[in-house]
Amino acid sequence: MAETTTFTNATQILEPFRGVKKVTIEEYFTSGHRTCQGCESALVMKLMVKAAGPRTIVLGSTGCMYVANTTYYTTPWVVPWMHTQLGSSGSAALGTAAGLKALMRKGKMKAEPINVIAFCGDGGGADMGIGAISATLTHKEYNSLILLYDNESYANTDIQISGMTPFGAHTTFSPPGRAKRIMHTRWKKNMAGMMAAGHPECRYVATVCASYAVEMMNRVRRALTIGGPTFIHSLDPCPKGWDYDPMLSHELGELAIETGLFPLYEVEDGQVRYYGKTKAIVEGRARKPVREYLLKQGRFAHFTEEDLAYFQRKVDAMWQTWEIPAVVPFKRLDATKSALGAT
Amino acid sequence: MAALICEVVYRGIFQKNLAARIARGIVLSARKSGRWGIAFGRYGDSPQRNGIPAKDFAIVADSKEELEQNMARYEPKHTDVTIVLDDTLAKGVESWAWYGLQPINRLTVPHGTVLMTSLQSFDELLKDIHKKDAIYTLALVRARASFSGLWVYREDHTEVRILGALARIAPSFLTLDGVGQAIKEIEWGSDLKVESAKKAYGRIETREVKITEGSAEIPFSFGLPKWWEMREGVTIPAIPVGKPKEGGKGYVPERNPYFKKYTSRTMRPVIDFDKCVKCTLCWIQCPDSCFDVMPDGTYDANMEACCGCGVCEAVCPVEQCITMVNESLFEDNASQWEMWRTDKDRYQAWMAGKIGDKVATVRSHGFRFRGQYEQELKRDLDTGGVEITAGIPGENAQHKTV
Repeated sequence: MAETTTFTNATQILEPFRGVKKVTIEEYFTSGHRTCQGCESALVMKLMVKAAGPRTIVLGSTGCMYVANTTYYTTPWVVPWMHTQLGSSGSAALGTAAGLKALMRKGKMKAEPINVIAFCGDGGGADMGIGAISATLTHKEYNSLILLYDNESYANTDIQISGMTPFGAHTTFSPPGRAKRIMHTRWKKNMAGMMAAGHPECRYVATVCASYAVEMMNRVRRALTIGGPTFIHSLDPCPKGWDYDPMLSHELGELAIETGLFPLYEVEDGQVRYYGKTKAIVEGRARKPVREYLLKQGRFAHFTEEDLAYFQRKVDAMWQTWEIPAVVPFKRLDATKSALGAT
Repeated sequence: MAALICEVVYRGIFQKNLAARIARGIVLSARKSGRWGIAFGRYGDSPQRNGIPAKDFAIVADSKEELEQNMARYEPKHTDVTIVLDDTLAKGVESWAWYGLQPINRLTVPHGTVLMTSLQSFDELLKDIHKKDAIYTLALVRARASFSGLWVYREDHTEVRILGALARIAPSFLTLDGVGQAIKEIEWGSDLKVESAKKAYGRIETREVKITEGSAEIPFSFGLPKWWEMREGVTIPAIPVGKPKEGGKGYVPERNPYFKKYTSRTMRPVIDFDKCVKCTLCWIQCPDSCFDVMPDGTYDANMEACCGCGVCEAVCPVEQCITMVNESLFEDNASQWEMWRTDKDRYQAWMAGKIGDKVATVRSHGFRFRGQYEQELKRDLDTGGVEITAGIPGENAQHKTV
């Protein structure tokens, strides 16, 4: 009788870094990449592999972190890295994990836990690659992490709208004019919430921001330790597309969290856990007004008070009306609540 | 039959719109002067990144035939006028890996002109600009480097001042009258800007540069891979993992040897190692991994890897421990930590000189808050600068409260 068990491979046990002084000193993504001054996505790459360690394979779909990091036959990567097509980060992660597993089972390579990380931008991940990522998150036999670095536009090709571009932002596709001010009226997708809600066997989904480096690295380490397919969504301030002084990259990451616009949370085996500044907000700390975040960016320079107020209302709604605040926007009907005995 | 070939060297993204306006302005001015012209960007600079040196070209010719002859090139091999929009580019530029350091005057023809916006003296600039084996003219428009972002333009008249200066340099191709007509007609032009162009025409400063003058540095270079070495599915060796600084302590990462990135820098961090509390924040938050861990636990910014974003200064919790200083104040990329270790008193004196220069330390490179450019331009006007025109594209000023 053929075996039908689905087993999960052993993973590397990566304990959380207990403080910034305990972080690995070695760099596995080093200098010499052609990114912008103050590029937070480059920082995400650096912290991601610092957290994962040397026994890691990184796969990158097309985007800034492909083009800038392989400038003309050179690389800043210390760990093995391979390019994959725009929409195929999910397929590449699954295929690599499956390939490694098969080679190890057949004795063609030493059996050991190897981290497989595929990264994608918001265009490659949230727009084009969402189907493949979704499929990968249902294959629970294969250990892989898909990291979405979200700079809220197609930044590599000079800032076109993606499904993750926030309401009203100035992009190549949405230049504000004198007759019509707001050219982009759609609200941003909720990727992490969607991935967590839609993939019951994916054991770990988290949101991170590189402004909080240690917390970000510990989420990567947890995702790699827990096994199976996992997903992390990182918000990366982009000095090129958001139009701000590169010096403000770190501060804008913090403001995105403190205004409540981008919540930091992890969903482990179905349990939602807020962390960092977001936890403080959940526990009652006041959110900063979003205007503090918006008015530091040239892409919102055309906003009027009316637009700022609309943006604030949308963020308030995330916290006040969503069933799980800032994570998933479902609302239970009162009838359902009483039928289920919930209060 | 003659042609005028111009290159506009600028900081990627920060000056993208500025350079495009200048290149287009040259062509339109040429039409108004009875000549033909074309403007185009260097294909190889795309995708542009903040701060990475990039180029636009503008060619003006007497006839259409001659213009077509000049268009049948991927990019010009030599230029009559090299327009430089930021004086820290004088140290040379590097756009991609394998490219090496290209002197700013490399394409300039003998007896050609390098036209630069700068507040520095000729002698200070010639410490940075590499020697050239031919005579050329260095021409200066007195202005701070005009930096903005992709979406909010800084209306400080730099584009028209360059056009006015160019009319003085190449009067047989661009007449001042033609420049004025073009500026009036263009959507971003105004009568005030025509005045600015005329003033720049009158105020341009020039000096002939001899072959003995300039920096004697040999620019770093690499051998490019040959076409038969470029194959599909090619594998590139990874970077080794790095090693301790000395005596088993500290850590220095290996770096991509073919791309150094420091020509993207307009400011550099100056570090007070005596004040450092070893909190690690600059090291962990640097997107370019430019901080080396020293044996004593402090962090030294590697000046070949640093691109000057300023995140380290922003995250440093100690006041005046890391200060960003204008790149033009420095002669080389030597290690600050080694200088500090050798002679702490001398280092403190050196550092005080750099960070004490308030004119040089204040160097904004982009949008920090809404209304910033208007404030800065008003301050400039109060100290004798140009008058500003309203100018955020697409802005509905009447609905706005800053």
